[in-house]
Amino acid sequence: MSEKVVAFKENIVEVVGKQIDLLQKKDELTLPPNYSPKNALMSAWLILQETVDRNRSPVLLSCTKTSIVNSLLDMVIQGLNPAKKQCYFIAYGKRLTCMRSYFGSMAIVKNLVGAKDVYGEILYEGDDFSYEIKNGNKIILRHVQKFKDIDSERIAGAYCTIVFEDGKESTEVMSIQQIKKAWKKSNMDPGKEGSVHKEFAEEMCRRTVINRACKRFINSSSDSAMLVGAVNRADEIAAEAEVDEEVKEKANKEVIDIKPGKEESKEKDKPKEKDTPKKKPPTLQKTKEQIAREKRETERRGMFEGQAVFKERKLTNRRPDF
Amino acid sequence: MIEIKSLASGSSGNCYWISDGNTALLLEAGIKFKEIQKGLNFRVSQIAGCLISHSHADHSKAARELVKAGIDIYTSQGTAEILKLQDHRINIIKSKKQFNIGTWKVMPFDTIHDDPEPLGFLLISGEEKILYACDTCYLRYRFVGLTHILVECNYSKEILFQNRENGSLSLERKKRTIRNHFSLEDVKEFLKANDLGKVREIHLLHLSDSNSDAGIFKREIQSLTGKEIYVAKK
Repeated sequence: MSEKVVAFKENIVEVVGKQIDLLQKKDELTLPPNYSPKNALMSAWLILQETVDRNRSPVLLSCTKTSIVNSLLDMVIQGLNPAKKQCYFIAYGKRLTCMRSYFGSMAIVKNLVGAKDVYGEILYEGDDFSYEIKNGNKIILRHVQKFKDIDSERIAGAYCTIVFEDGKESTEVMSIQQIKKAWKKSNMDPGKEGSVHKEFAEEMCRRTVINRACKRFINSSSDSAMLVGAVNRADEIAAEAEVDEEVKEKANKEVIDIKPGKEESKEKDKPKEKDTPKKKPPTLQKTKEQIAREKRETERRGMFEGQAVFKERKLTNRRPDF
Repeated sequence: MIEIKSLASGSSGNCYWISDGNTALLLEAGIKFKEIQKGLNFRVSQIAGCLISHSHADHSKAARELVKAGIDIYTSQGTAEILKLQDHRINIIKSKKQFNIGTWKVMPFDTIHDDPEPLGFLLISGEEKILYACDTCYLRYRFVGLTHILVECNYSKEILFQNRENGSLSLERKKRTIRNHFSLEDVKEFLKANDLGKVREIHLLHLSDSNSDAGIFKREIQSLTGKEIYVAKK
């Protein structure tokens, strides 16, 4: 790295460090007792030196200084450390963003919101699983799994339980359908063969359910406005940036046009309109059989639903014929 | 001579009528059947077919009644399944598989929206080539020799961000909008990426109630393209 980048580093780390000090002095920011912003910033800096954007140019050179400062601030406010894979940095165009991993969400719930433990489990078809709902809270009564049922092709769902110091629990349960619906929002194309979602189905299910449980919990129970703000802001920026990136990557690429029909090229320069009826694809052109079947169907409907057909006819007849 | 008429546009309902003089089509059926009748001076029977882009009610509300009135519906399998449309009047169409309705040749193409199988349409009649794309985050495709463009121009990022900052737009709404609708900024990029040499008219559709400004949109697209711009009536 050039001298320029080294000078840049001191500047940026200093700026972020000062901001953090200021926020802590004003009592607006509470960090986990075992969290050292300095260490996290150092780790982040090491990682950022190796991070490149889509065009393989270093993010420290291609991203704006403001976005680098903001992403580092967001990291510290959430009490995350990139060396522990709790967050990672992605450049969307010129904007660097700090994305929280599900390890990060778990860390927030444990360190900042005061949960004792967070765990996610996969449900397979054939599992003996039951829970009850008490005061709007789901409580797992029983989950027995047989080793032979473990099969990533037969995942039935997943759940995440957050356990508190006082023994209370909060659980989020998702069926595989709900999980897949959540995945649809991803632009990683989860349905594609060989996608991460297919290759590591369990891990991705666990990630989805843990993320959901933690996020709901952070939003509903943290009293630190700054933390909730940072969590949501990071999500919002990520969502925006993800769309921007997808548009840049995929929009306005492939040329699509109506093909002139084969008949047209064979029959030389006949006007297009005359060709039109011939080129109806078979699916839309009604064959004699189809017409006969439709007629039969209409007659049958007439027998069973006389009134409906009568109404329909009346409507049709009333229509002025221009 | 192509005629285009907007019966309704926006999140409360979309319905556009186009005709090449021979065959008249409806694009979308997202308003009450009665309103379609009114909009067409009660000449619904003159419609040769109705193309429906996706299943959301503001695009499909009157589908059943159109079928009852004897109008052919053209839509994707995914949309037909959600709307539970089953009738010989329902014609299932697929992205990139072209078909004919009367004097029109139609090429459906996939769009980006939170629905199973959303479509846009490229329509040709004689020398006229019309693009219809509504409710899409962006378009994957480019088109050659368009004469008329009917495209969603839902929101401007500037207004959206302002509304988000002043608190009138929730995070969820914002996320949904940016993921599923065409922004003024991206429409501009789309127009820049296409050869507009033959384009005569550009119609801006489906303007958002709170995140758009018809005056600004019209002016900006006009100054970019130098074409005749229409903002579809709500």
